[in-house]
Amino acid sequence: MNTDTPDTPADKGLFPVGKPLPLSEYLREIWRRRDYLLQVPLNDLRSQNAHTLLGSVWLVLNPLLQVGVYFLVFGIIMPIDRGVDSYLVFLTIGVFTFFYSQRVISDGARSVVSSLGLIRTLRFPRATLPISNTVGQALSFGPVLAVMVVVVLAHGNLPTWRWLLIPALFALQTMFSLGGAFAAARFNHLYRDLENLLPFVFRLLFYVSGVLYSVDHYIDDALVRTLFLFNPMYCYVTAWRWVMVGNAASTGVMVASAAWAVVSLTVGFALFRSGESSYGGTG
Amino acid sequence: MTSTDLAISCTDVEVSYTIASHRPLIRDLLRGQKPAAQTIDAVRGVTFDVHVGETVGVVGPNGSGKTTLLQATTGLVPLAGGTCLVRSVPTFLGVSAVLRNHMTGRRNIQIGLLAQGLSQDAADDLTDDVIDFTGLGDAIDMRMETYSSGMRARLHFSIATALSPEILLIDEALAVGDRSFREKSAQRLDEHRANSGTVLLVSHNLAEIRRSCSRVIWLEQGLIIQDGPTDEVLAAYEAS
Repeated sequence: MNTDTPDTPADKGLFPVGKPLPLSEYLREIWRRRDYLLQVPLNDLRSQNAHTLLGSVWLVLNPLLQVGVYFLVFGIIMPIDRGVDSYLVFLTIGVFTFFYSQRVISDGARSVVSSLGLIRTLRFPRATLPISNTVGQALSFGPVLAVMVVVVLAHGNLPTWRWLLIPALFALQTMFSLGGAFAAARFNHLYRDLENLLPFVFRLLFYVSGVLYSVDHYIDDALVRTLFLFNPMYCYVTAWRWVMVGNAASTGVMVASAAWAVVSLTVGFALFRSGESSYGGTG
Repeated sequence: MTSTDLAISCTDVEVSYTIASHRPLIRDLLRGQKPAAQTIDAVRGVTFDVHVGETVGVVGPNGSGKTTLLQATTGLVPLAGGTCLVRSVPTFLGVSAVLRNHMTGRRNIQIGLLAQGLSQDAADDLTDDVIDFTGLGDAIDMRMETYSSGMRARLHFSIATALSPEILLIDEALAVGDRSFREKSAQRLDEHRANSGTVLLVSHNLAEIRRSCSRVIWLEQGLIIQDGPTDEVLAAYEAS
């Protein structure tokens, strides 16, 4: 800004348009929209099943049916040993927690491009969009968690002190997934191709994160096990199984789960913010 | 605040669009090339000031850069050159934009108000006023995809002006509403002006420009041909 003339634009109360807000102000603007962050996804959840006979019951019925299918296939039709005690419990925890991150990130990827109208009309911190999507997914994880707990209890497991860690683990996984959603939203706005690619990325991750089998059971090499820590999905799925039913999990998994949350959220948010002024542009 | 205070100050503003393949293809990325694309200089060095409380009309043939100029002053479109200073970030109002198509008008109003930073309670309080202003009646509870362009414009105008933004940019928004809504929105603009609000109005409806604007900017091929009192500029524009 030109400061050597006495009549600077700032003196006249003007500022250059399109200049990004400083971080603290940006975060404050997001906080100011906390009602948006909560109310919009709540309403979306309510209206999601508005045209179905069973309505919101689907939020619980959906995960229940999912478990039912797995029980049928892996419990009754082909009950083979996969190196774990109770495959149904093992699978339920793995699938539910894996899908949580997948939903947050894939949904988040679309959050900006599906709101171009809103972006072009109103000025608000764009990070509001992926955050509000994530809040929605976090809310709908409630019934999923309930079903998971029922399955665990029904199998004869009793609650332990480790269950107190559920909120912390959930928070860490949510931080990680939100960071992923930020990054995905940014890149999907640049190249919509990402939206088509994501299902396959997650399919692949699904198979290499030990959702269907116990990684520890099949892999003895310590080095390879350490390499698995670089797969955040493996870390979260394994941590969940430890918290819920006490399946073995190394300290490395715990540390990696926390580290992934912080790294992903920081990097994801920074990436998203660097594109702030481009959203709603000619893309 | 005196009327000599500036609301918008643009100096040598240039905006260019790249069209055709406006994002790099994988082939270009691999070769490290910029994508082959055509660059359109939509605004080619425009300088003007708008004072607080002024309503300025922008006229010119299709493709003369009117809408682009308006968008540039909101910061939505990056500038290729020049500077654009504003007193507050202008609210842009165009006909083509929709909020969320698959939601009802009422829901769009609520989302629009919440996104502007209102609390749920404040938004609830204001929603009925906004619905009232739209005059959409029962249609407010229908999904927006069922709306005509006029109905969308009404909803859009009502949401964007609900919180009385300091600087309002209007892109033909009033042209599509029916007569009663045009009167109502013109009235709201008058109130807006009375509160020392600033308006930039793009329109092909010269009668509307005459009615609302004290000053007109005439654009042609991204350049200002004339900038002055409404009568003078419109007389020259119509003679061209």
